[in-house]
Amino acid sequence: MASDDRNLADRSGKLFESHKGYDPRVVFFYFITAGLLLLLGGGLAYQQLFRGDLYHDRERAQNQRRILVPGPRGNIYDRHGELLVGNRPRFAVVLYLDELRARFRTEFIRIRKNYRETDDQELPTAEQLWTLARVSVVQSYLEQINAILGRDLKVDAGRLNKHFARDLLLPYPLIEDLPPADYARLIERLPVVSPLQLYTTNTRDYPHASTASQTLGFVGINEDVESNNLSGSDLTTFKMRGSIGRDGLELKFDPLLQGEAGGSIFRVDPLGYRLRDTKAVETLLPVQGKNLVTSIDLDLQLTAEQAIGDQVGAAVAIDVRTGEVLVLASKPDYDLSKFAPRLNHADAADITARGAWTNLAISGAFPPGSTFKILTSIAGMRAGVIDPAEPLDHCQGSIQIGNRTFVCNNDRGRHGEILLPGAIAQSCDIYYFAAGRLLTQDRLAAEGRRFHLHERTGIELPHETRRMIMPDSEYKERVFGEKWFPGDTANASIGQGYVLVSPLQMACFAASVARNEVHTPPTLVHRPNAPTLKTESIGLTPAQRSALVEGMVLTITEGTAKALNIDQFKIPGVRLAGKTGTAQKIVTKDGKTGTINLAWFICFAPADNPEIAMAVMLEGDTIGEEFGGGRNAGPVAATVIKKYFENKNRPADQKITPFKVE
Amino acid sequence: MPKRFDQARPFLTLGLVVAAWLIVPTVFKTFTRASFFELTAPVSVAASYARDLQEYWSLRLRSNSELIEAGRDLARLNASYDLAVQQNVEMQGEIARLEAILRLPSYSGYRSEHARVVRRDFSGWWQRLTIRKGKNFNFTVGSPVVFSGGVVGRVSEVFAYTATVDLISSQTVRLAAVVEGDIRPISYQGGLNPTFSSAGGVIEFVPLDIFASANATKRLVTSGLGGVFPPGLTIGSVIKVEPSTDGLFKSGEVKLDDRLAALTEVTVLVPLESY
Repeated sequence: MASDDRNLADRSGKLFESHKGYDPRVVFFYFITAGLLLLLGGGLAYQQLFRGDLYHDRERAQNQRRILVPGPRGNIYDRHGELLVGNRPRFAVVLYLDELRARFRTEFIRIRKNYRETDDQELPTAEQLWTLARVSVVQSYLEQINAILGRDLKVDAGRLNKHFARDLLLPYPLIEDLPPADYARLIERLPVVSPLQLYTTNTRDYPHASTASQTLGFVGINEDVESNNLSGSDLTTFKMRGSIGRDGLELKFDPLLQGEAGGSIFRVDPLGYRLRDTKAVETLLPVQGKNLVTSIDLDLQLTAEQAIGDQVGAAVAIDVRTGEVLVLASKPDYDLSKFAPRLNHADAADITARGAWTNLAISGAFPPGSTFKILTSIAGMRAGVIDPAEPLDHCQGSIQIGNRTFVCNNDRGRHGEILLPGAIAQSCDIYYFAAGRLLTQDRLAAEGRRFHLHERTGIELPHETRRMIMPDSEYKERVFGEKWFPGDTANASIGQGYVLVSPLQMACFAASVARNEVHTPPTLVHRPNAPTLKTESIGLTPAQRSALVEGMVLTITEGTAKALNIDQFKIPGVRLAGKTGTAQKIVTKDGKTGTINLAWFICFAPADNPEIAMAVMLEGDTIGEEFGGGRNAGPVAATVIKKYFENKNRPADQKITPFKVE
Repeated sequence: MPKRFDQARPFLTLGLVVAAWLIVPTVFKTFTRASFFELTAPVSVAASYARDLQEYWSLRLRSNSELIEAGRDLARLNASYDLAVQQNVEMQGEIARLEAILRLPSYSGYRSEHARVVRRDFSGWWQRLTIRKGKNFNFTVGSPVVFSGGVVGRVSEVFAYTATVDLISSQTVRLAAVVEGDIRPISYQGGLNPTFSSAGGVIEFVPLDIFASANATKRLVTSGLGGVFPPGLTIGSVIKVEPSTDGLFKSGEVKLDDRLAALTEVTVLVPLESY
């Protein structure tokens, strides 16, 4: 013991070894350690407090996926609540590939083992083995369906691989558009819990096929479905295909009709497979778009289209009081049901060949022919050059204007001294040539502009023509670099020459004349309590107005449209006021150039208290054939008008009950 | 050995058993499970027979006048059933004649096999019955099971002398149904039915023009289109339908027959082609 103490004393120099509490060299390391700890703590705090959100977002982006499902589009109804365009469910049986990760792996191992056991020298690549495994597994599920439905379907490997690579989280459709019987069998025979599931999508449904096809329009595929209500716009998103309006009302009202997309956010593993037995982080149900109630009257529309038949042309009917369009028919048309779910190339080519894409009622611009004489009459009376009680000229069948001789194309040489009502009824060209000469073109064009015939109507449809022309001297100078001749005025006064209008414009013009006003903005949206339109008055005296309407009534009873004065078209207690027109159009058919006739008819009824106005334009199909407004276009309008009053006078218990659409 | 280790021994043993169960092959587990059911089935069946005997002795305690009255009621019931059977035979003959004229395929035939319920197993997860017949009567998985009030469910497992029936109140049962008077198939599935609550189910893909409420219920019947259940069997009453947000369909609730929870006898429809 004494010896040990001595040794200790020798080593420390003291009997007891003592710890030195303060050593500047050690303190230096204290500071270094504290500094490092501070740095570490600061770094942690920085990462946690300032970069926490960033890492959270990165973690979300890495292990969450968003699936967007488009909402169905809203329905389109006619003014009485008849469905014009709806949605039809499409039943499909689908396979959720993202639930089959384990099965794919097992099958991969089995196939690889088989190759190795057979000592096959041409062992497929890993990617090829994966493809084989996926096809094999999916085929095994498809065999279950084949057994239930008695089919013999095979997996399309290319389509499967594409879906696997791009849309792993979206259901893979094995069979689409299942008929109800097959769908019912699968409901009962497929296991409730399985990667195989029944799935419903929807497509547009057109219960009336080609009716109002160009007006209603069609939809196309929308690959870019978006949702403002489902969070996670920064996440990798899988989008199911939606639809978007491409033409007609579907295009114009797309924001209204478009449904609100729903969807889900799921957690996935690093390979992108959905984590098993986990619920969606967030789910939002898709919502159907808003419904649109149009002003179209389905019954009248069908009547108009049936009356036009296989002819080329258009018919427009307007509610005189509100400007609501009751009929907007154009032929040729196309079958909308061929667009659901998508139009094939053959049908598209057929529509193109028939020229059926164009809505002639709004996109076509045609010379209005003698229907324009109503405007010339109004302009003449307002300018004081036409006195309804005085003859304007003596119709001898021709008139010399400038250095040209113009002939009367209607009953040449028989009109003699004729008053305004007779001139309208007999459509005497000489009367209007004389009126145009006295009126001057600038005043005639100004009257046309007053009725808004020089501009678009503003109807809620795309592709309304801009080619309407209300010509004057400035127009001819600007476009052709030529001065205006008196002969040009003569042509314009009977709706020929440079004058071009659309059938819709003429229907609006007829409605304006019916209301004794100058402007009728048309609309395709039905408003049950829409107020009566009130625009600028035409400015005719009662006598002038009376003469104008009398001329239009005489047109039907004894004038150029007397073909309508038969029981087939007569409406008890209702007088129809109308004006025929026949214009020419130069065409080349079968290598032969010539003119075909454009048959026009504008009208309103009842003549005393108008409710409905119409314009019909039909194209003749044979060069040089007899084709005119009274004979061809008039019956179409008269049939529709008669139907209108039949429906109106139908007993209350047989009427279609208007409904309210939310 | 430390005392603490002794205390932990049961937990250790349990852990070892669980670990061993996890790693044994699936074939062994399946065999064990099937064996368990086959071994316990006689116990359930014996208990069922004992209950029958109990009921028999309880009936023996009834007075003669009560039994005579019950016998009369039964005779009347039998008479009405005899009449219904005769009418059914006539109708089946007429259907066969029409099918022959129109060259329509006949519906698949079924053989009715009555079976006594030996056990009811209701939980929030499943709702099942065990019945006293199995492979010995050629039952097959998926066979429809009915009772006087309509559909009971489907056979989900078949053992030597017993079979398990998944009730239509169970979420594992789905079938193609139609609302009475309509022909469009809709999907019926058992709902979430907590213990002691009245049984119900849900319907999906209901056309928009179908309306029903608690005050104006609609009868839901089998469609016959699914190929498992014959058409026209009552499933329950539709007590609520409401449109889904996508506007394509409605979905709704179905109230099932309260007698499903107290069944003592059911009928298994064994498809003839599988017999």
